[in-house]
Amino acid sequence: MSAQRPSRFVGAAVAAVLACALALSGTAAGRSQAGPLTIYAAASLTGVFNTYDGSEKYSFAGSNVLETQIKQGAPADIFASASPANTQRLYASGLVDKPVTFTANRLALIVPKSNPAGLKSVYDLRSVSVKLVVAGAAVPVGGYTRTVLKKMGLSSVLSKVVSQESDVKAVTSKVALGQADAGFVYVTDARAVSDQVTLIRIPAWAQPRVRYEIAVVSKSPNKSAAQSWIKGILSTKGQTALSHAGFLPIPKASS
Amino acid sequence: MNRRRLILSAAGVGLAATGLAGPAGALVTPAPTPTDDDLAYANFGLAAEFLLQDFYGQVERAKLVTGTTVREIKRGGFNAAEHAFALEQLLKGAAQTAAVRDDFDFTWPDGTFATKKQALATGLTLVETLLGVYLRAAAVVTVQSYRGLYASMAANLGQQAAALSEQSGGRIVGISFAPALELKTASDVLEAYLG
Repeated sequence: MSAQRPSRFVGAAVAAVLACALALSGTAAGRSQAGPLTIYAAASLTGVFNTYDGSEKYSFAGSNVLETQIKQGAPADIFASASPANTQRLYASGLVDKPVTFTANRLALIVPKSNPAGLKSVYDLRSVSVKLVVAGAAVPVGGYTRTVLKKMGLSSVLSKVVSQESDVKAVTSKVALGQADAGFVYVTDARAVSDQVTLIRIPAWAQPRVRYEIAVVSKSPNKSAAQSWIKGILSTKGQTALSHAGFLPIPKASS
Repeated sequence: MNRRRLILSAAGVGLAATGLAGPAGALVTPAPTPTDDDLAYANFGLAAEFLLQDFYGQVERAKLVTGTTVREIKRGGFNAAEHAFALEQLLKGAAQTAAVRDDFDFTWPDGTFATKKQALATGLTLVETLLGVYLRAAAVVTVQSYRGLYASMAANLGQQAAALSEQSGGRIVGISFAPALELKTASDVLEAYLG
């Protein structure tokens, strides 16, 4: 009997270790791999990715900044961009595997709840004195902002820009804190601060094609796990998480 | 000359886009650069023509009309498709990304296609709104050939408005001076349908 005790103890310890390992690997994507993945993702995905799978290591920033970091050899496993331009450039350079579209978004104009400039429509930007904040032209949301203004014949309002930010979170924050009278952001970012800002719709005919792409980084040592994670975000579960956060389904033209 | 080229040359779009204008395609001064305002009319018009094309298709599928009216509805859909093509070429010629039909999820209020009367009333709203925008564009855009295109499309929309009005029991010949509409006003009217 006494000779059996150590083996029973070892068996229990092994079972506990296995249980622990299984628990650690039980991420939202349902894959099995040791340690978290490193995911570089557009700032606008901050809330939804953390909600979908809080067990990975994220780096959120403007997609243009993340693209540059990957070019410089940053140790990312996955890159999720708010514009196909960033992923496609990396794909052309062989730095990521073939990207896929995984969601879409829309732009909106936001104003602080107090609405000091009295804006009711995007067209009002022409006539009123306003402190406008936008993202830089190289940032996806900044590029989309300029597309909207061009489509609506409102490019002249760019002369009212008081600050050009490095990502959409910075634009959202400035407006929410009342440091600017208005700013162009994604609808999903506006939702996240809906208690602090009022959303002004941009007409459907002037909306840019906001498409998010995701790809495995070519030099990732965790390719199999990264591919599983991407499968997860494309699955019903992943798409539901995106939808709950206000993102749009994968557009017909991209599927 | 194929049909596509015919549409474009009739509207002056192809010539403006290539910088070739004048009799027999003689090389003259480069086409003027369109302003953002000029192209805003085209962006709005393209979306509205896709919407109108969808409207005519819905009326046809709902079998709300019969006889010669079916022919008019089909013709309206055909005109909308040709207008959309001309506007797409105009935008591409100006180095802009033109919207495609799949960029929109059209929204039709409940009951829009429940009765012929309701459907035709909706169609008349769409057509008269777009007519107003083209009249405005024909007056204010800076590129001469674009003005021709907008005037030509406005004339066609006047015919569509007459047909829809007659079918819903209204006048064929309406008011003497159809109102030109600001883009913002027209955008507010159509936003409910454009999704």
